[in-house]
Amino acid sequence: MPDNDNRADVGQLWRSWLTETERQWNTFFNDIMGTDSFGRFVGGYIETYSQFQRLISQNMQRSLSTFNLPTRSDIVDLSERLSTVEERLASIESALKTLAEAVGHPTQTASVTQLRPRRTRRPRSQPAQAQ
Amino acid sequence: MATVRTPETSPFAEVFETEVVRRNLDRVRRGMDVILDRESPVVGATPKDILYAKGTQRLYRYRPVTDEVYRIPVVLVMSLISKPYILDLSPGQSLVEYLLREGFDVFMVDWGVPRPEDSHLGLEYYVLDALPRNVEEVQKVTGEREINILGYCMGGLLGLMYNGIFHDAPVANMVCAATPVDFDGMGLFRRWSDRRWFDLDRLVDSLGNIPPDLIFRSFEMLRPAQRWAEYARLLDNLHNDLYVKHWRLFNKWVYDQIPFPGQAYRQLIKELMWENKLMKGQLNIGGRMVDTKGITCPLLHIMAEYDHIAPFASTQPLSTLVGSEEKEDMILKGGHVSLIAGRNAWSRVWPQLSQWLGERSV
Repeated sequence: MPDNDNRADVGQLWRSWLTETERQWNTFFNDIMGTDSFGRFVGGYIETYSQFQRLISQNMQRSLSTFNLPTRSDIVDLSERLSTVEERLASIESALKTLAEAVGHPTQTASVTQLRPRRTRRPRSQPAQAQ
Repeated sequence: MATVRTPETSPFAEVFETEVVRRNLDRVRRGMDVILDRESPVVGATPKDILYAKGTQRLYRYRPVTDEVYRIPVVLVMSLISKPYILDLSPGQSLVEYLLREGFDVFMVDWGVPRPEDSHLGLEYYVLDALPRNVEEVQKVTGEREINILGYCMGGLLGLMYNGIFHDAPVANMVCAATPVDFDGMGLFRRWSDRRWFDLDRLVDSLGNIPPDLIFRSFEMLRPAQRWAEYARLLDNLHNDLYVKHWRLFNKWVYDQIPFPGQAYRQLIKELMWENKLMKGQLNIGGRMVDTKGITCPLLHIMAEYDHIAPFASTQPLSTLVGSEEKEDMILKGGHVSLIAGRNAWSRVWPQLSQWLGERSV
């Protein structure tokens, strides 16, 4: 048998082994992770994680306030206000665009709204009707 | 007299010219590209314009590539869990590009990356406010009353909720891909989020949005050996340009996780994972009942037999939930991603999807 075939066989053997090993390990871990005790462990981990996060966040907030610096909640408030301003601007922009288009002045994004391909396409199996 | 050796006659030239050496040098070069993330693949490159924006949400319209399109536009509704470019991976490997070439007018609802101030956004916002507003924008720009909805993963769930609340919604056809509806079938996810040990409120109250790392790790834990096996397969195929390109594209998307809006997560776990209310017909969003039996438009339901994110048991009953007379189930052998972006998708799903939608979009 030529060398190439042997190499291909070894390669194929390795690939099959990899797939099978992956499947077996996944099944093994999934069986463990599907137990109540693992579920409890995950729950405990998430609870500790949440408490840790909360503790850090409270301490950080206290420290920043001490140094008269903006905290995360201040930035979030600011961001919320900015979003409101953005939304209002967008609605004003949209109203202006409608007005501009109504009087025949194309706007910057008019190309998006003016893309008007013919909506007459029919599926290949269904021939187009004669005009 | 000394002989002058040209590169062709050098004793090393022969060695470097052998197939084995060339192959191994290629492997090293491509391996370094992957490790150093050199020439990172470009994703989501199909030309598009923003039609509407609110907060982090964007409604895109992809530029049609045919002079003539189907009458009814296609609106892709994305999941809240992942980035939308899985539907527009790279040229030649993009569902969006394929649909455009097939003559569809394609829109996409991209929820964006939620910011900390978005942690209060619940399903009410997405289903009762954002989706109807996006549909209105599509109607306005196309001049068509009807639309087709194509929802992937949780995007399908949002589409189902929207259509199940607004029975007069202008949805002509609906396509759901890898959409979980029966949360009793969610396997390990359900086990880990069991209310006996999972303090959901504490988690959401402490973190606001659920961090992407937490979501990613939970997906990874579903198949703990997969990552290492994928690396071994990559090593085996480093000589193959196409394999490496695809590997990098999918890997980029898998690791590119986004936070999950806190309030929506809370509802998803309480209403669906714990109570399985969609299946029981008891889901209430913002005081509106989701009555999936009231959905009567044609439905194409695409699901994967080996999906570990939205297991087959959780997706399979979808078509039994709707009242549509015309519904079709498409079952594939692949997984969650290959269903919509892998080889299965290019060769089987996309052509069938295009044909199914095309016949109903005139």
